[in-house]
Amino acid sequence: MRQQPYFFGIRHLSPAGAWYLRAFLEEKQPSLVLVEGPSDFCDQLEHMVKPETKPPIAILAYTSQVPVRTMLYPFAAYSPEYQAVLWCKEHGASCRFIDLPSGVFLGISAAKEAMEEKRLLEKAQPPAKEQEMTRAQEATPAKTDDGMDIYERLDQQAGEDGHETFWERVMEQAGDAGGYHEGVNLFGARLRELSQDEAPEEAENIVREAYMQRQIQDAVAAGHSPERIVVVTGSYHVEGLKRWDQGGAMTDQELAALPGLEAKHTLMPYSYYRLSSRSGYGAGNKAPAYYDLIWEAFCKGEPRRTAYSYLSRIAGYQREHGTPVSSAEVIEAVRLAAELARMRGGRLPALRDLRDAAVTCLGKGSLAAISLAVADTEIGTEIGALPDGISRTSIQEDFYRSLKDLKLERYRQITAQDLELDLRENRNVKSEKAAFLDLNRSFFLHELRVLGVSFAALQAVKQDNATWAENWVLRWTPEAEIELVEAALSGDTVAQAASLRLKERVEQAGAMKEIAAVIEDAFTCGIPSAVTCALKGLQAMTVEEASLEDLAATAARLSAVIQYGTIRRVDSRPLEPILHQLFYRACLLLPGACICDDAGSKTMAAAMEQLNSAALAHDFLDPNIWLTALQEVAGRDDLNTCLSGLAAAILLERGQMDAARLKREVQRRLSKGTPADLGAGWFEGLAMKNRYALIARLSLWESLDEYLDGLDEEEFKRALVFLRRAFADFSSLEKDEIAENLGELWGLSGQAVSETVNAVIPPEEAEAAQAEANEMLGDLDDFDFDF
Amino acid sequence: MEQKKVQRLPAEQLFQKEIDALIAAEKDPIPTGWRMSPRSVRTYICGGRAGSTEITPKYIGNERLVEIAIATLVTDRALLLIGEPGTAKSWLSEHLTAAINGDSTKVVQGTAGTTEEQIRYSWNYAMLIAQGPSPEALIATPVYRAMETGTIARVEEISRCASEVQDALISILSEKRISIPELGQELPAKKGFSVIATANTRDKGVNDMSAALKRRFNIVVLPAPANLDSEMEIVRTRVEQLAGSLDLNASMPDSDVVEKVCTIFRELRKGETLAGNQKVKTPSGVLSTAEAISLLCGSMALAGSFGSGRIADEDLAAGLQGAVVKDEKDSVAWKEYLENVMKKRGAGWSGLYRACKELNA
Repeated sequence: MRQQPYFFGIRHLSPAGAWYLRAFLEEKQPSLVLVEGPSDFCDQLEHMVKPETKPPIAILAYTSQVPVRTMLYPFAAYSPEYQAVLWCKEHGASCRFIDLPSGVFLGISAAKEAMEEKRLLEKAQPPAKEQEMTRAQEATPAKTDDGMDIYERLDQQAGEDGHETFWERVMEQAGDAGGYHEGVNLFGARLRELSQDEAPEEAENIVREAYMQRQIQDAVAAGHSPERIVVVTGSYHVEGLKRWDQGGAMTDQELAALPGLEAKHTLMPYSYYRLSSRSGYGAGNKAPAYYDLIWEAFCKGEPRRTAYSYLSRIAGYQREHGTPVSSAEVIEAVRLAAELARMRGGRLPALRDLRDAAVTCLGKGSLAAISLAVADTEIGTEIGALPDGISRTSIQEDFYRSLKDLKLERYRQITAQDLELDLRENRNVKSEKAAFLDLNRSFFLHELRVLGVSFAALQAVKQDNATWAENWVLRWTPEAEIELVEAALSGDTVAQAASLRLKERVEQAGAMKEIAAVIEDAFTCGIPSAVTCALKGLQAMTVEEASLEDLAATAARLSAVIQYGTIRRVDSRPLEPILHQLFYRACLLLPGACICDDAGSKTMAAAMEQLNSAALAHDFLDPNIWLTALQEVAGRDDLNTCLSGLAAAILLERGQMDAARLKREVQRRLSKGTPADLGAGWFEGLAMKNRYALIARLSLWESLDEYLDGLDEEEFKRALVFLRRAFADFSSLEKDEIAENLGELWGLSGQAVSETVNAVIPPEEAEAAQAEANEMLGDLDDFDFDF
Repeated sequence: MEQKKVQRLPAEQLFQKEIDALIAAEKDPIPTGWRMSPRSVRTYICGGRAGSTEITPKYIGNERLVEIAIATLVTDRALLLIGEPGTAKSWLSEHLTAAINGDSTKVVQGTAGTTEEQIRYSWNYAMLIAQGPSPEALIATPVYRAMETGTIARVEEISRCASEVQDALISILSEKRISIPELGQELPAKKGFSVIATANTRDKGVNDMSAALKRRFNIVVLPAPANLDSEMEIVRTRVEQLAGSLDLNASMPDSDVVEKVCTIFRELRKGETLAGNQKVKTPSGVLSTAEAISLLCGSMALAGSFGSGRIADEDLAAGLQGAVVKDEKDSVAWKEYLENVMKKRGAGWSGLYRACKELNA
């Protein structure tokens, strides 16, 4: 029988495990510690334990090809793995990760996903996609047929309220190392028992164990004597790994046959919040700050401390936030928690006991009263930290350097903070850098936005200072860090990556509008090279067939960039020729495009408005082309009448249509031969724009009046229909004004009308009027209002 | 039999067998002054087995709350049970004391007229005048006796007492002693003494409790039954127990009768139909689970005395009318409920609807 290495089974993120593991290492004084964790992470070991490194941290592995798959390996101060690495550094022992390389894990997850999708397709159900793989891969919890994963089933067996409390009692609160081992072995055995009937996961575990066995063999072959090796692994794997020298280890061919994706990895700061949000064994735990308290208590050698610090912290938080809590209440809570634990046969209060005690004694029976304090004490806002320059991707480097440069470091927090930017030059400072600090910040934040990094979110600004003010909400989360790492594929700096992302968007753009959006983004990010690239793409596209709607939308965006671009100190002149080109093309297309149905006329009307404002905003756009196009649209009878009306309205507004022409138009458009709906459409178009000017224009009402006068009764009834429609969306105030106008025309002053209307009608006259009205109403009865 | 003549037996006599079985089967350590271990108390309240004896569950609902209540008493803290009417506050308090002390009768029944003497002690004035202050002339209150014997006193409806009466409890609970200046004595509480108080959150005419007093209690809020099934379970269990002791000469209500009553109560209480698709007016009454229980017992009595011995729709309708309609406005709410909700419920409900309608005609 050969000498055996020592195997130490753990549960991830377990303070007791970390504590007893350290004691164990102290006792055995190994020369090599092998830790379960992707073997390609070994290069991160030294950085994990630098003095400046502050857990929680995580190693993030990501594929270098799209779709980007990621895998996270979080470590807290109380992770046994982390403490093992730390111990090795303190005692000069070697340390190594021995699990499958991260690329293989990512490959397996991709393969599994494909299998799952296939299975679901066969079942004809929509596939549920889980993009990110977590460390819950340790003896992977796959859903079984009854819809529960292993941990849920384990929970059922555990009794009480699930595995957290149960395992807290048997492992975290074990009185000594022996008790802890007993608990861990039980845990591992249960898991093994339960996962045996699940083929794919079982297979994965066999592969992993074979690989780890091989690593152990390699270590022994490299000259470490087995009894000076300690293997730290999830309790699940202990039994499997003990057979390391019995021929089950992975062979070279098997190793070569493993599926794998090309993967990179990086160390990143992590947060307790994130740790708590990924429930499930291994991947996180629900109350990281509480577990940290347990770890602290272990380090101080008094496990009872946890209860005191938990409850005092809640009391402290309550006091800080204005609710008085007396020490007597805290004492009562401690006693109650202890009693609750005893009732369940626990040695110390578990989290559940502590929380219930806090609710009863400090919250006066209501969880809501102390829920914020509970969240703060159990989850906390802790964020890890890494020393500068530590094995970050270069884009992370750049990100942190930029934060420093732009004085944004204090926003790197888990709580959201507002940032208001004034893009104008600050004339009160000396250096140019300081004068444009806010502008540079804006560039940087926009670049992050383009990259999809959720560090900063742009908020809407009130109109009056929309050109120079920007409001952002900044919040650092581990997600943002992951998104940043994903962006590393695009470039080495934030600006570079953003630029590449914009160029990609140009290449993929199917419509002109998309390119215009890129140009806009390029300006907000301050990346002239992307502007040039986008312009080329745009030019190419204008030559091709494009709808007027697209042209107008693009022109509007470009126009805005040119108008407000100066504030961002980016030269917008290169845009002018292209805008001109677009505009010219749009003018030529306009009359033809106005042949459309009513549904299409809505978007066309918007396009005309956009073109009109562009024409007004820029001197370099020839107004005559635009006006000519409008004249044609206004004058032609075969176009959508609503758009003809709108063209007339624009011409009116710009003083290009005199009263006589308008009168002629009104008469022509509303003449007897014209179907009523066409006439109404035209009037609608005319009323779309500048309604007040329209109302004030007496000549219009004059012509309308003349037109109505000239109608016989039949025709009048017909005209009534479309006039009603045309005026339907006028406000009542506007209608009043129209009525006043008409009154004026008919020689009735407001006064006279008011007097007539308000005059008391003699009874007999009223009767007669009533009879007449009835007769009229009767006539109207057979009139078909249903249009 | 002597016992049969009592309208309602105290819990410790009603469940004598179960308590004895639990004591006999005791394995865990027993706190001072208690008759059984905290775990056995939990078994007594929440149900289980003791040796070969089946223990019926007394409290249906969140067991964790019961655990917190028991643990509170182990730490000799006072316990305050708060909740809407009919959430089994008094019920739980009675059974806790029955299990812990075998005596649930040390009760102060709080009213607006309760005086401080009823909390501390009072005097036999004839004796006081004749002999001067003496221990014999002193009349001990339930709280006083609980302190003497190291047992648990119950204060019912503490929020109905005036605040000075509530205050009398403050020093008792913090000092754990009563001073009797007339005799130049002090009564220290024996180990095991504690108080269980109950308070109502929804009734009109209650006094607020001072923060000082609240601080001396561990507060457990008893929730209203979470869903229809648990409420039906509670109603059925209690009706069975009550009917047994009341000799109602009627058969137990069918489950669809219980369901109807619970549905109506829940809907009116919440102001919304169970399906959540229709708003209904809430009447002024609390419509607690306890009222549902007494309504069913009342209907059973009607059926037993004047009807067929089975609860008919008419019996139920009379009870519902009384429970829901407390004033003029309620009558409108009830009629609306009848027309808008009950009428549309289909054949199963039509008999009850007609009966209710008749009463409102």
